[in-house]
Amino acid sequence: MKLQMVGCSHHNSPVELRERLAFSTDQVSAALGALRTRYPGSEAVLLSTCNRIEMYTAAEDPAAIPTHEELVDFIAKFHGLSAIDVFDDLFERTGEDAIRHLFTVAASLDSMVVGEPQILSQVKQAYQLANRCESTGPVTHAVFQSAVRVARRVTSETAIHERRVSIPSLAIADFGKALFERFDDKQVLVLGAGEMAHETLRFLMDEGAADIVILNRRRERAEELAAITRGNVAAWDDRLKYLARADVVISTTGADRPIVTWDDFQSIETDRGQKTLFVLDLAVPRDFDPAIARCLGVYLYSLDDLREACDRNRRERDKELPAALAIIERETRSFMAELHHRATGPIIGRLRHGWQRPKEEEIKRLFNKLPHLDDPSRDEIRHAFDRLINKLLHPPLESLRDEARHGPPHGLLDALQKLFRLRD
Amino acid sequence: MLSGITTLCFFASYSVALILEASRLFFRSGVRGAVMVSFAAAGFVAHTVFLANRAHGISPNPLSSPYDWLLVVAWMLVSVYLYEIVRQPKAIIGIFVLPVVLGLIGSAQFATRESFDQTGAANAWASVHSIFLLLGTFTLLVGFVAGVMYLVQADQLKRKRSGPQRIRLPSLEWLERVNARTLPVSTLLMTGGFLSGVILNQINDSLSWSDPAILGLALMLIWLFAATIFNYAYRPARRGRKVAYLTVAGFGFLAIALGTLLISETEHVMSHRRETGDAGASVSPRNAGRTAISRESKQCPGEDLVAWNVRKQESPGRISELRERQPVASALARPAEDLA
Repeated sequence: MKLQMVGCSHHNSPVELRERLAFSTDQVSAALGALRTRYPGSEAVLLSTCNRIEMYTAAEDPAAIPTHEELVDFIAKFHGLSAIDVFDDLFERTGEDAIRHLFTVAASLDSMVVGEPQILSQVKQAYQLANRCESTGPVTHAVFQSAVRVARRVTSETAIHERRVSIPSLAIADFGKALFERFDDKQVLVLGAGEMAHETLRFLMDEGAADIVILNRRRERAEELAAITRGNVAAWDDRLKYLARADVVISTTGADRPIVTWDDFQSIETDRGQKTLFVLDLAVPRDFDPAIARCLGVYLYSLDDLREACDRNRRERDKELPAALAIIERETRSFMAELHHRATGPIIGRLRHGWQRPKEEEIKRLFNKLPHLDDPSRDEIRHAFDRLINKLLHPPLESLRDEARHGPPHGLLDALQKLFRLRD
Repeated sequence: MLSGITTLCFFASYSVALILEASRLFFRSGVRGAVMVSFAAAGFVAHTVFLANRAHGISPNPLSSPYDWLLVVAWMLVSVYLYEIVRQPKAIIGIFVLPVVLGLIGSAQFATRESFDQTGAANAWASVHSIFLLLGTFTLLVGFVAGVMYLVQADQLKRKRSGPQRIRLPSLEWLERVNARTLPVSTLLMTGGFLSGVILNQINDSLSWSDPAILGLALMLIWLFAATIFNYAYRPARRGRKVAYLTVAGFGFLAIALGTLLISETEHVMSHRRETGDAGASVSPRNAGRTAISRESKQCPGEDLVAWNVRKQESPGRISELRERQPVASALARPAEDLA
């Protein structure tokens, strides 16, 4: 039985190469089909995301799967590249290392932003797509199903996925979602049209925000952002009117003094009616007078507040990392032990089968000598013989299981084959 | 076997669930969630069976005693808790809901188990009165729990707490919505309960209008009306912190009303009984003594007063002994003594 992975990730290859080697969904299906045609005995799953391209191959017969070189050549040629050009960027993991790697990837411990939740669904989608392409088999079923289970275990037993470390994601996931149940009925006001505003809007739109009004001193910048985010543009001078209606405000202007002062805010308090207002002041210097945070219903977060929370989360996440890695390690060992034990199945089967014939012969001889036995007595004798065989087999099978925990029990299997003359 | 279920069974289950909920503030565990839900669900099943046993064949109006009434409200709160913990598994709701549930079960131990048994039209109005008050209490308690959670969550967010520094709670928007809805609904239900109680009293003409239970309920109703009018007349009152304060204060008035009911419950219950005679109150073994003396006192209005007083003088030791053992029993005996 062999399992290997060949691929690249954000750790070891530049984004340009990952872009050239990336597979679309249709290309994944085509690649898996082509691989199956070329290596019919091999199972395969292809995981392709913006940060990694990984091809997992496995087979019961080690000779049936492509070698590292053959797989690199296959991936390169699929994209019309030379294998020599990409060989150094595509790393290989085999056996236990490959399993540990997949578990780590699925649990989002190998991601660019550790703990980001998308990778698990991407792993599941890759496995489901391979299932639909009929390129999976017993080994890949076992490995990928275990990977999903291990990832869920890491999620439930550690807080690693709850510790957001990017400012926009923390602002929306930690604070925004604690304030609002949903965002599709909220009015989002964006003051300024910079990169940070765009990034934060992306997270808000993922949560369903659709009613977006963008205001910028330079209207054309606002229109550019509105075109990307399907928002509306309004005049800068109307900002207080829109602020009175808004539920969420993202402010990222480059102004050198607050664009919303205490007096400005007091002038719209009656119109606001103390409704909940979530303000992300991501500008330096700040766009909102900090005193506004004292108003009822206003939850104002500055860049410093969010950065402090991110740093705290990073420290907390680092504390959780050893626990998450320990789970991966335990699960990898347990999976390997199970895999090794499964490899002893054919020998155990032959051993059991080999003992059945003498058992049947002895029972037959006994029944011939005792013809007066009725059916219940005969069944009892059969059961006694079965119990005897199970008891005799128990110690060697336990020894095999123990040995499998430390690696393939080749020595014991050879000894059993020789001692009991087990042949294929 | 199911008839052996006592309040202690589900009280203990909910207590364990509460401890497990509280432990979520300090450390993580993979299996705790399942264990916690299992304990709460086991308690809920025991609670359901207990109420079913109480409801089965004890009186024409099952679960109409203050004792049952408090347990039914607790049962309804647990059902909401179980629903929410499945819907929002990450939110630590139990540390707010379960203490109220345990408080209700604990209070029930001090409440009488005598049913509001009535006959004819009074029976129907007694049922309406009980159901409205029960649902009103439940709605007010839901509002109270949501209000407390709102205030805690708002405080955490104002202080910019995130991650492990913050107790995980439902969103402010959700809590505000629950809060804002419970106030008018509980006002309506309590009004229904109060009005049906007035009609019931008109039919029976048995309870003084200055009875503490009536005054407590009237006080709460005045507050609820004031809060609801304030809520509709002043827009910010429908929002956030203000509506949370209104519902939390509503709980204060509910506590006063419940307290007066528990203290004066025998007057409240027995006044009806004086009119209708003994309708076969439910009797549990531990209430046997109380029921014995209550029967003794209850028989008073239907009997010749002179004969009853003679009987009481013959056994004064028995009454004073029970009065010492059972404060409620002494309260039960009081109307008869007054009459004497």
